[in-house]
Amino acid sequence: MSIVAQVERFVAMGTRVELHVFGGGFADAVIAARRAIEGVDDALTIHRPSPTTAVNDELLAGRAAAIDDPVLIEALIAIQDVHALTDGLFDPAIDQRFGGAGWGDVVFDPRTARIAATRPLALDFGGFGKGFALDRACAALRDAGVVSACLSAGESSLAVIGEHPLGGGWPFAIPHPLVDGGVLVELDLIDEALSISTTVGAGTHAPERAAMIRPSDGAIVTAARCAVAVDRSGGRAEALSTALLVADDAGARRLLEGGPTRRFLYDLSHEAAPTVDVARMHAA
Amino acid sequence: MTDKDFDLTRRSFIDRVMMATAGAGMAAAAPWAVSAASAASAGADPVKTNPVRLGVIGTGDRGRTLIQNINKTRNCAVVSICDTYAPNLAKARQWVGPTTRVFSDHRAMLDAGGIDAVVIATPLHLHARHSFDAFDAGLHVWCEKAMARTIADCGAMVTRSQAANKVLQIGHQRMFHPTYLNALKRAQTGEIGSLTQIRASWHRNNAWRRAVPADATDRQINWRLYRDSSAGLMTELATHQLQVGNWFFDAPPTRVIGSGSICFWKDGREVYDHVALIYEYSGGRKFIYTSLLNNARYGCEEQIQGSKGTIEPELGRIYQEVPAKVLALQRMQKDVARGHKRTVPIGGATWFPELPVTTPGESLGWGEYDETMLQFEGFGAAVRAGKPLPGLLRQAYQASVASLLGEQAMDRGEAMTWPTNLVAI
Repeated sequence: MSIVAQVERFVAMGTRVELHVFGGGFADAVIAARRAIEGVDDALTIHRPSPTTAVNDELLAGRAAAIDDPVLIEALIAIQDVHALTDGLFDPAIDQRFGGAGWGDVVFDPRTARIAATRPLALDFGGFGKGFALDRACAALRDAGVVSACLSAGESSLAVIGEHPLGGGWPFAIPHPLVDGGVLVELDLIDEALSISTTVGAGTHAPERAAMIRPSDGAIVTAARCAVAVDRSGGRAEALSTALLVADDAGARRLLEGGPTRRFLYDLSHEAAPTVDVARMHAA
Repeated sequence: MTDKDFDLTRRSFIDRVMMATAGAGMAAAAPWAVSAASAASAGADPVKTNPVRLGVIGTGDRGRTLIQNINKTRNCAVVSICDTYAPNLAKARQWVGPTTRVFSDHRAMLDAGGIDAVVIATPLHLHARHSFDAFDAGLHVWCEKAMARTIADCGAMVTRSQAANKVLQIGHQRMFHPTYLNALKRAQTGEIGSLTQIRASWHRNNAWRRAVPADATDRQINWRLYRDSSAGLMTELATHQLQVGNWFFDAPPTRVIGSGSICFWKDGREVYDHVALIYEYSGGRKFIYTSLLNNARYGCEEQIQGSKGTIEPELGRIYQEVPAKVLALQRMQKDVARGHKRTVPIGGATWFPELPVTTPGESLGWGEYDETMLQFEGFGAAVRAGKPLPGLLRQAYQASVASLLGEQAMDRGEAMTWPTNLVAI
């Protein structure tokens, strides 16, 4: 007997989202997961009025702000964690308009839900939001008893619940962004999230796509790179892949050493990268 | 086609209309179709035992098409035909019986009697006069769209029909088409979300000019190209689509702006060969319309756009606002269904271009039968009952006014607000 699957497809977080939930009787759970992602989109977007844009208006004006949106509060708490995890290489307060401004200028108190900044800046949850949204969707599905599911936000952010419906890990192959049919790495995931960040390949020249900025010096990262990160948390995986992409050599090495089988960085600047080349994976 | 085949297709057509109009919402949104289909469904006798006797004024191409559709009905029969141009009458004779009376003057036809109603398929500027004469003769009127050459004459046709207590029905066949009815029903149930815009076009690539025989004048044959007799694209084509717009928005427009030009066919015509207009509706909704005569790529269509989807009734499709599937995940799902596990290649672009949806959409269901038959059966039932099909005339009146108001907006180069002095229906 075939395994029942329920699929939900929709647009959120500026990309296409797919939820594949295996096992019967989870219709309500799938809708709850969708609502969770849409809720994150509503809270964190900077492309239409949102709690985040309201906070940004205050921070840009040099004022402190009280936050009453629970999703935004939870996101900011998670940001504190991933900022530390990435040695500050993932920074949601980087903005080309305000050179040098960063998360280090932000004062956020989770107990009072108040945020302020020592200089004008704006928050941008790109490089974190999709993974964070998948985390919340996974939580909704797990709460409903789902034990096997695969969630995708734009193909560059994935999360899986439990094992593959046929047992074992979920097998993924990360395509080479420049070589048709080439594979950078194959990974098996169980209860994990995967994030891919790249400066080359499809979509990197999308209209209005923000440049990758290195927080340490404010430089725009132009090197041809692709970073892959796996973590229990989607938000952390996404922040890690973003951090790997913008890190200098020393910073990248530190991050890679923190997860030698779960973090990968590919230098694609010279030619088409060799496939599944472990030696180069760890060389920034 | 045998009589049995015909009866089956007629039956299935009416069944589809009945199905599309079922429910309280549709009874309010398309009451004319409910009435017409109910009457057609109730008529058990396939033979025209006591048909409504029609006299057709104008037997050009459109008039002859109408005669063929009337011949399909169970309750109407053409007993008289009339045209001022003899070759049109000669062509029409093949579609009528040998006892059908033939006239070259419509007054003579009216005076001769023996008819219950007239069908008017003459040039636009004659609709009002022919209607008035018919009402004065105590007859009901079925008239081709648009109603009349001026907004005032449109209103006068309504008031004259009301004063005479006679049916006035205008030819808008989309109002009887099961695809349009089904589209409206699905829009009403919220399938495509809040309707905010309708983008409509009628694009052709021909001169819209007919060869003029030696025994006729250009203005006689090509009356659509001259302002005395027509508003061109607005009254001959846009009227249909403006009716659809008003129908789906459930209101007439509040204002119209537009631009018209004779851009390509500089052959002495007086009416625009390019029109582009925006009709505004309450709540910021818009009907965006273009019609032209030198490019047929986008043809005739109404794109009814909501927050959750789009309906294209001419194509008979409904599209949901759902992004394209991720092929790798689709394959993974199929693999699981057949008990097969293999690596999922994934990791492409987060961003995807906002290109037009190329998915085929879902069919709204096309009718193989001609809805013009049903509108005449509805007209026949209305004549028999002495009461017009509910709601239809108001739709037609507002569509004609909208088309003529659009012409005024283009001619004057200024926004025209919806008239406040229209006749109440």
